[in-house]
Amino acid sequence: MSPVLELADLSVRYGGNRVLDIGALSLGQGEVVGVVGANGAGKSTLVNAALGWSRGAAKVSGRIALCGRDISRMPVQKRVGEGLCLIPEGKLIFGTMTVEENLAEGEDEPGDGRRTYGVDDVYALFPRLKERRGHLGSQLSGGERQMLGIGRALRLAPLALLLDEPSIGLAPKLVVTVLETVRELCADGLSVLLVEQNVKAAIAVVDRMILLERGRIVLEGPAAEMKDNPRIAEAYLGAQKR
Amino acid sequence: MNVGQQIINGLVLGHSFALVAIGWTVLLGVARLVNFAHGQMYMLGAFVTWAAIAEFGLPYMLAVPFSMVVGIMVGFLMQQVLLRLTLKQDLVSIMIVTLGFGHVLHGVAALVFGSTGQILDTPFSTKNVYYGDLWFTWQDVAIVMVAVIVFIALKTVLEKSRLGRIARMVAEDPKLALLGGIDVRKVYFGVFAFEGAAVALAGAVIGPRTPILTSMGFDEVIMTFVVVVLGGIGSVWGSYLAGISLGLFTAFFGALVSPAYTTPAAFLVLIAVLVLRPGGLAAKPGGH
Ligand SMILES: Nc1ncnc2c1ncn2[C@@H]1O[C@H](COP(=O)(O)OP(=O)(O)OP(=O)(O)O)[C@@H](O)[C@H]1O
Ligand SMILES: [Mg+2]
Repeated sequence: MSPVLELADLSVRYGGNRVLDIGALSLGQGEVVGVVGANGAGKSTLVNAALGWSRGAAKVSGRIALCGRDISRMPVQKRVGEGLCLIPEGKLIFGTMTVEENLAEGEDEPGDGRRTYGVDDVYALFPRLKERRGHLGSQLSGGERQMLGIGRALRLAPLALLLDEPSIGLAPKLVVTVLETVRELCADGLSVLLVEQNVKAAIAVVDRMILLERGRIVLEGPAAEMKDNPRIAEAYLGAQKR
Repeated sequence: MNVGQQIINGLVLGHSFALVAIGWTVLLGVARLVNFAHGQMYMLGAFVTWAAIAEFGLPYMLAVPFSMVVGIMVGFLMQQVLLRLTLKQDLVSIMIVTLGFGHVLHGVAALVFGSTGQILDTPFSTKNVYYGDLWFTWQDVAIVMVAVIVFIALKTVLEKSRLGRIARMVAEDPKLALLGGIDVRKVYFGVFAFEGAAVALAGAVIGPRTPILTSMGFDEVIMTFVVVVLGGIGSVWGSYLAGISLGLFTAFFGALVSPAYTTPAAFLVLIAVLVLRPGGLAAKPGGH
């Protein structure tokens, strides 16, 4: 069976600057792969490029396959429709719409055997969102926004989820909650590429981990091995200094 | 001065302003776009309606939707030309291109319809209503009714329907809407189609009030600008209220001072409002 997500010779340029150069990266079904690295290493650029999405003017080239199908020529919304969903860094929900409206757009019957998540499934996963369903996105706390962002993506019946720093600004207890929820979703067959600065929290939930430096993969391996690697300790300490 | 008559004039005028402006309200509120060919599209709406009646012998009630379909086609054509600029949100270029498009429309209309004035007679415009010392036509009633219906329909669609929700997603953050699987281009096309249909409807319904000329349209786009900015960019209720206020202001200013200075006076009000309430009358983040 082909991996859920496969990236090959992926490179991204901003103007004349090449900021990402990935030879090969794959994500198997039900797998959580962590992406760590210092600020500016290219973590966000990597997950954004998989969708061909950017807030700026990124030029992406390379091959991107979803369940063996080449999607690198598809427009962003088509890739989302195929089941590749991104929860971006920064602004990740609609502030002028209520929680309920944020969750309204979604697939209840994608028809190709993908697992769907109804609004109630999202509320079951994050009861806090149900309590706040009438509130505007702009009135939510950072943690609630992350939950809503994940919920919004789940509504689109994803095969693979690209999560960009879900723990940013969250209390330690909430980081654990959010990451454990991600782990649970993978038990259901979802695949996740998880960008994290919080290496300690990430290493507890990922299967494999990738260390990015200046846009290149410099280290890759199973979580258990990566835990004791000195370069990971270095990146982890780097993250602590923020 | 007959106060009752000025109130009626003001309300009719106000609903005309609001109806002419509604396409722009959506354009600016949802797509963050401007269209300086708006006035010429209004002119075209009136002339297509006139031609449908005078040349093709269509009844008025069929000429109106016919004109709206032509308006949609013009909107589509424009968006096709503008799409790359739209996706880049290059407002300055969009301004210039639409301004140019307006002049092209004017030229084409003058070629096709000639440069002499025409009267767009409808079954309603020739029927007067007298009530004491008050006077209006059934066309005036039609203007108010159409404006109210269009505003309520728009408000309902924007707030209650999936289409409206998608439009609001694009309005707030088109990039994030893409991640929600929304085809943002389609929304932009839809917005331009609405703009084309709405302004053609305005031309078809308001045109009968005065003789129509292919050179008209500049006043309309200026007034639209005032209404949309005064109402708080993108706000549907704001535009409606601003249109009515501007209509009443114009009627009373015209009766008390002089009709010749209403446009400069309207701009003075606009400047004052913008300085005091920078977001417009119905200022609210996100609009609507
Ligand atoms: N819009 C942009 N225009 C130009 N350069 C950019 C843009 N966005 C990112 N870059 C550059 O690309 C590189 C990678 O940035 P990226 O945002 O992917 O880093 P990151 O690993 O996600 O960092 P962080 O941990 O701070 O989120 C950086 O050198 C950054 O300066
Ligand atoms: Mg980042």
